[in-house]
Amino acid sequence: MTSDVKISIKNLYKIFGPEPDVALEYVRKGMGKAELLEKHNHVLGLRDINVDMQEGEITVIMGLSGSGKSTLIRHLNRLIEPTSGEIWVDGEDVLSFNETRLRQLRRKHMSMVFQKFALLPHRTVLENAGMAMDVSGVSTADFEDEARKWLARVGLEGNENQYPHQLSGGMQQRVGIARALVSNSPIMLMDEAFSALDPLIRSDMQDLLLELQKELQKTIVFITHDLDEALKLADHLVILKDGEVVQQGDPQDILLNPGDPYIVDFISDINRARVLRVRSVMKEPSGEAQDYAGDISEKDNLESVLSLSEGDTNLTYRVVRDGKTVGDLSMKELTRALVPTAAASEERQKGR
Amino acid sequence: MATYDFVFSALGLEKWCSEGQSSAPLSMAQLLSKAKGGDGTEAISIWDLPFPSLDALHKSCSAWPQSRDLTKGLEDGFLQIKDNLSLVLDPITQPLSWSLDGALYAMLHTPWWIVIPVLLAVVFLVTKSWKLVSFVAGSIILLAFIDYYDYAMQTLSIIFVCAFLCVLVGVPIGIAMSRSDVMQRMTIPILDMLQTLPPFVYLIPLIFLFSVTESKLYGIAIILYAIVPVIRLTNLGIRLVDKEVIEAADAFGMTPWQKLYKVQIPLALPNIMAGVNQTIMMSLAMVVIASLVSAPGLGVLVLKGIRNLELGVGLVSGLGIVILAVILDRVTKASLARINAAQKQ
Repeated sequence: MTSDVKISIKNLYKIFGPEPDVALEYVRKGMGKAELLEKHNHVLGLRDINVDMQEGEITVIMGLSGSGKSTLIRHLNRLIEPTSGEIWVDGEDVLSFNETRLRQLRRKHMSMVFQKFALLPHRTVLENAGMAMDVSGVSTADFEDEARKWLARVGLEGNENQYPHQLSGGMQQRVGIARALVSNSPIMLMDEAFSALDPLIRSDMQDLLLELQKELQKTIVFITHDLDEALKLADHLVILKDGEVVQQGDPQDILLNPGDPYIVDFISDINRARVLRVRSVMKEPSGEAQDYAGDISEKDNLESVLSLSEGDTNLTYRVVRDGKTVGDLSMKELTRALVPTAAASEERQKGR
Repeated sequence: MATYDFVFSALGLEKWCSEGQSSAPLSMAQLLSKAKGGDGTEAISIWDLPFPSLDALHKSCSAWPQSRDLTKGLEDGFLQIKDNLSLVLDPITQPLSWSLDGALYAMLHTPWWIVIPVLLAVVFLVTKSWKLVSFVAGSIILLAFIDYYDYAMQTLSIIFVCAFLCVLVGVPIGIAMSRSDVMQRMTIPILDMLQTLPPFVYLIPLIFLFSVTESKLYGIAIILYAIVPVIRLTNLGIRLVDKEVIEAADAFGMTPWQKLYKVQIPLALPNIMAGVNQTIMMSLAMVVIASLVSAPGLGVLVLKGIRNLELGVGLVSGLGIVILAVILDRVTKASLARINAAQKQ
């Protein structure tokens, strides 16, 4: 598994203030965010972050505003310098890079999509899409084909010669995504990329991203404050609170086994039936012959199973993967999994 | 003898005071008091207590400098460094003289039927508005018809040269200010001073430094007066560029230079152009005042009107200046509006 790690963050600390090194010592000794601010007038941005991001996966970093998620993503391409810690990309220590090497990393290996699009207002859509190429000195004529291809791929065919202000928010963010894709970098950093869009367009953009990801297998780091969005996109979910990682792992796992009251609160409002998948709640096949009501795929979400059963809680389904039986799912278990507090308290009892 | 005698006697300085018998001529105040015949020994009530200023202290102690010694010292000091200063400044500013003289020569020796169409073509190029072109054509033809064409063209060519140099010098200064807070802190007081100092005041040292026959004299006066807005607004414009866009430029690996000419300057352009507009208007204001130090153009006529009380000449040349101001303002504003339209967000 370790060979697939694309980005690795180790013991990362960030403290804002005039003397971060002094404040770092207090934080290492266990001083909290509020106390640090009150006594030493330094803001604790990030505390002891350790995250491994796998190649070809979408890692979602989620947290409320002020949790340090935007600070964290800016450490990856060193738009913000850490106070202490290590950042490894492709086995190289990013913090040891000099200016030229860092610029190379930003041009060729990491592209970024911003919450407020951050397009150049005086350049056309085409020129904006080719920004990474333009920065490396490729002429517009040479990157035009590539830029047109990706603009068409994100659904902006025919808009190439318009200016950003002539496009709607959703279309502008498509330019932002095309800009990241044209750079052809294996890593994409997305800082609340869809948060400024209205819900319907946001869901469209999420689908677009998933579709592109299926095709391109990039390593994507996605920041969001929206749990539904996080659960929809994440292969690996990292939840931040006050600059600390509260829990990270498979999103299904976090949903079923929240490790912190903060997360329990967080997940209490979401539509579990839509997010949870059969594989997360199914049981090992009992081996006994049973009356299966039908076959379902392990990837189905519970909502689809619910509608299949038409509300009958006495049924049991057989879960199959590639034609083989991998488990049982009784509707009783399914229903239990839909109750958030029950699931949580059950977990706590198990823990004791 | 005077109010503050006790200070000097307390300090035991009477001897030093009496040594410095002033050789300067009597001041007006001294003369008046002498004429009144007062011997200065009458008791002074607390209401009449003078502020312990240079002059008041001088009354008690003649070795103490007077305020006129201060201004005199300043003048002497300036006269002392003047020769060295002009040794340095003369060659540096010589191109200014050449360009002003060249522009005046070219403008006046090209026939009117070439100059007017070229001007109109420039107006069309920067504004793309036929309405404005016809307005400018009408104004210039009116000025030419009443025989003010030469004066107006002189004024115009001085403004072109000075405004161009203001932009050439001011924009880089503004950029430097936007990049360093230290530079900004150091420059702002100088800009404040240039902006608030009455324009007549910097004519005085300039007259000492350069000969009145040289055109750089008024050129420098105009540039010093008019350069401030373009510096300020360049600095402001670059500092106001959206942080997100700058961050994106960084994130895509732009070098500082790429960031400057691909992002910051284009995005600051509306503000820079607003500065250029202000600079042009201020050089027009100054070119009138600078006619006191031999700047040619409509200002000379205004001056003539004032000096000889020729009401008609004064009014018509004043009107000519207003027409020029309106033309310059409309044209720069229209080109500014075009830039704004191209990059509204």
